[in-house]
Amino acid sequence: MRFGPLLATALIVIGLAGCATRPPASDPEAVAEYDANNDPLEPLNRGLYDVNTAIDTVLLRPAAVVYRAAVPPPVRQGVRNALGNLRAPTILMNDILQGDMDRAGRTAARFLINSTLGIGGLVDVAAWKFGIRGHGEDFGQTLARWGVGEGPYLFLPVLGPSNPRDLLGAGVDVVASPWFWLGQGEVVEMLRWVRTGMTVLDTREGVLDTLDTLYATSLDPYSTLRSAYRQRREAEIRNAGQTAPDAATGTGFGVGVGVTVPPGTTLPAR
Amino acid sequence: MASIRRRTAMLAGLGLALPQPALAQMDATRAVNFIQTTGNALVEALNSTTLNAAQRRERVANILRQAVDMEGTGRFILGRWWRVASPAEQQEYLRLFEETLIRNLAARLGEYQGVRFSLGRSQQRTEEDVLVTTVVERPGTPPINLDWRVADVNGQPRVVDLVAEGTSLRLTQRSEYSAVVQRGGNQVSALLTAMRAQLQQMQARQ
Repeated sequence: MRFGPLLATALIVIGLAGCATRPPASDPEAVAEYDANNDPLEPLNRGLYDVNTAIDTVLLRPAAVVYRAAVPPPVRQGVRNALGNLRAPTILMNDILQGDMDRAGRTAARFLINSTLGIGGLVDVAAWKFGIRGHGEDFGQTLARWGVGEGPYLFLPVLGPSNPRDLLGAGVDVVASPWFWLGQGEVVEMLRWVRTGMTVLDTREGVLDTLDTLYATSLDPYSTLRSAYRQRREAEIRNAGQTAPDAATGTGFGVGVGVTVPPGTTLPAR
Repeated sequence: MASIRRRTAMLAGLGLALPQPALAQMDATRAVNFIQTTGNALVEALNSTTLNAAQRRERVANILRQAVDMEGTGRFILGRWWRVASPAEQQEYLRLFEETLIRNLAARLGEYQGVRFSLGRSQQRTEEDVLVTTVVERPGTPPINLDWRVADVNGQPRVVDLVAEGTSLRLTQRSEYSAVVQRGGNQVSALLTAMRAQLQQMQARQ
């Protein structure tokens, strides 16, 4: 932890430099746009966005490209299904906390069917044979349902677009999951790392085409991502549209995993 | 609603210009029929076996040119910078906007072979337009919700926005363009330069 104080100082310095100036009240349209963007930390966020771009260029994107090229689609689908199945307890908890017993019932049924007939979640038998489709849900959405605001927009390296509410939600989801508490020993520890690693890989592969298109077509990918993330989360909170697959995570680029957007719309949501 | 209309009439009476031309109300049935017709034409062009890729793109581009309210959508997306732009910049912007949008949509729609779409259940109305929901299905991918915002433009139904799984194309693009203008020193010319460069890249690729 020798780097702790150094890191803290660096963050404070960046933080102080990182606040956007609010436009003067004499320009109501500029103020309205500033408020609508909800990004008072924009300079800091853009700095972190550049950090993410660097990490993504040398590490994450190449890894996702290799993963897609080397692993056949059915296996990748199996991995995504299994990761989604591991999220089932979390989704179930949030279905219940949001008082949606219909969706809670479907989540429980999916977990039971896929964990057994679906060979530990590798095959989505529930959707395939029983027509019970999955959906995403997370504690960030539950907080939103309870009336908690999103807070200022944040962009974090590796994780992607987020906000304090969704970050807190993701943390609560981790701690409230049975997998956080069950088991001990080296094997369990290793499985946890495998799950984390596969989630990162699956997430990046899941948004590969969307982000490629976005970087190629947007004149300012940072603000496109910001707008798309916030709109997508709002739709998820309302449970609108086709439901997100259960492998979609609660924040960051992961909200887009498995949602195939049509052309012309540059979204992180895929 | 009535009070807004009265105020609009008052402002008009005083000779004050309104920021947006008042649009006539859109009839939901007409909007749905329009999307049905446009969607069918797009699907037919995309799934055509007699056309090659370039011809399909051209066909799709023509359908889009007729269906989309280019000027209204372009002005909405430029937002508050429209009035900052000079008349020449406005003209140049609309030209670049139409070209970029058509090329983008046509190029990527061109990959949509085997596509099917069906009208959704709900049609939301606002004062100015109707949001027609459709579900788009492609082989091998999960279905997605694609909503078309349809407004009355000079007596004709026209598409003014596409909303994919809750994300509005015109809102996202307005945010993008405004950021480019602001980062270019609040100059619309900075956006035009970036759009011109982007269009050249797209032309080079196709």
